[in-house]
Amino acid sequence: MTDAPFIEIEELYFSRGDHEIFRGVNMTIPRGKVTAIMGPSGTGKTTLLKLIGGQLTPESGRILIDGQDVHKLSRKALFTLRKRMGMLFQSGALFSDLDVFENVAFPLRVHTDLPNTMVRDLVLLKLQSVGLRGARHLTPAELSGGMARRVALARAVALDPELILYDEPFVGQDPISMGVLVQLIKRLNQALQLTSVVVSHDIKETLSIADYLYLIADGQVVAHGTPQTLDTNQDPRVSQFIHGEPDGPVPFHYPAEAFYRDILGDSPKAQIG
Amino acid sequence: MQSKFSNSTARITRLGRRGCDLMEALGRAGVFLFQSAVGVPSREGWRLWLHQMHFVGVLSLAIVLVSGLFIGMVLALQGYTILVDFGAEQALGQMVALSLLRELAPVVAALLFAGRAGSALTAEIGLMKATEQLTSMEMIGVDPLRRVVAPRLWAGFVSLPILTVGFSVVGIWGGYLVGVEWLGVFEGSYWSNMQASVTFVDDIGNGMIKSAVFALVVTWIAVFQGYDLVPTSEGISRATTRTVVYSSLAVLGLDFVLTAIMFGGL
Repeated sequence: MTDAPFIEIEELYFSRGDHEIFRGVNMTIPRGKVTAIMGPSGTGKTTLLKLIGGQLTPESGRILIDGQDVHKLSRKALFTLRKRMGMLFQSGALFSDLDVFENVAFPLRVHTDLPNTMVRDLVLLKLQSVGLRGARHLTPAELSGGMARRVALARAVALDPELILYDEPFVGQDPISMGVLVQLIKRLNQALQLTSVVVSHDIKETLSIADYLYLIADGQVVAHGTPQTLDTNQDPRVSQFIHGEPDGPVPFHYPAEAFYRDILGDSPKAQIG
Repeated sequence: MQSKFSNSTARITRLGRRGCDLMEALGRAGVFLFQSAVGVPSREGWRLWLHQMHFVGVLSLAIVLVSGLFIGMVLALQGYTILVDFGAEQALGQMVALSLLRELAPVVAALLFAGRAGSALTAEIGLMKATEQLTSMEMIGVDPLRRVVAPRLWAGFVSLPILTVGFSVVGIWGGYLVGVEWLGVFEGSYWSNMQASVTFVDDIGNGMIKSAVFALVVTWIAVFQGYDLVPTSEGISRATTRTVVYSSLAVLGLDFVLTAIMFGGL
């Protein structure tokens, strides 16, 4: 295994309409490590995963995965590259016309010529690892949100990919499932030498498994480092986020005109205020 | 004066933007059609196509055949009341067959197909998009255009002409029931006049060409609207409506153009 980073993001700019989401983001995701991308809601963490996966195209800048510029690949080459990735979606995104077993078997059936008996064994192994072997005959409509995410995780690792992108993996999990998931992500990473990118704002869980962290806010990387260095970082934006403080430089409110003006309109009282 | 000028400029700008949006959407739809339809299907692709043939074709049979029966019956009834005044009720079979084969079967079957199968295709693909199933398929390394869109596109293209044949056959039989069995037109003249006047290339062939064109257009509109929609509940509702409206207008407009080319001597 080389020491070269698995993902390199260089001078990334991306907007939706007039809203600038990224303004010159630079990141290096090391190979074989768990890298967390954190930041307040609405900062574009999921968008960043979609840019890495080639589902969105940046305005400028480039994203290299194992040396390949994702946005310069042909459609066919991009799909070939994606066979080396797994992605856990926030919603699970299970195929509603397939049951749990077939959802997990899907990548194996389309990308390998394994016999049915081997597919069955592999699917049961993956389902066992997320604790849902007994739910193999259920349909996605019969699963809770947390269960759907665990099935989606089993599907994401079905082909033992080199890179897994986790989009908010801990949201909506009960404490037991959360603990299992945290352990699972860590174990998968260590056992298979995967490169994992975890997008989350669950600080405690993420800090416990991440080898390296990027904190993004206001379209830029505001800090990066190991969990220990970020925990003691003196930057008020970093400190506010890591320690969950309500007051600080990162605003809780979406930009708006003054509250009193919104409530009172242009009445004389408002103008005095 | 200044404000009048700026209003006109704004109007022209809006019109220009709409024109550009329309051209862009047409371009996207063209690329979409090419990427989905061109390519050799795998064994799995054939299986998915067969499954879709059942969904869009077999499940549309009932509505198409029942409609064909009633339209044939109405044609015979209306035709008889006109023809009998001229003592020409023997030509009833010819009138029913030509009306169905040249016009009514391709057009009405396509309109019914747009309402029954087209809207369902749009809603299904749209919901897959809204629930990120298409995105997750992409991330697994499977192209949704090949796996989801292509089988539906080809199933629609193949099944509508077959449904049109069914519509015509049942319609002619419906005309027979009303004209011969009920109103007493001589059975021999009903069939022999039909046999003498209907030609395979001009009538059946042109009708099938129309049906194939409608099949491509209706299915293309349906799958593109599903794939290109805004992934919200309102977006799905609007796209489904657009599928039925655009398909119906396209079928009726193209029918005139094709009829003018085939039978109008253009």
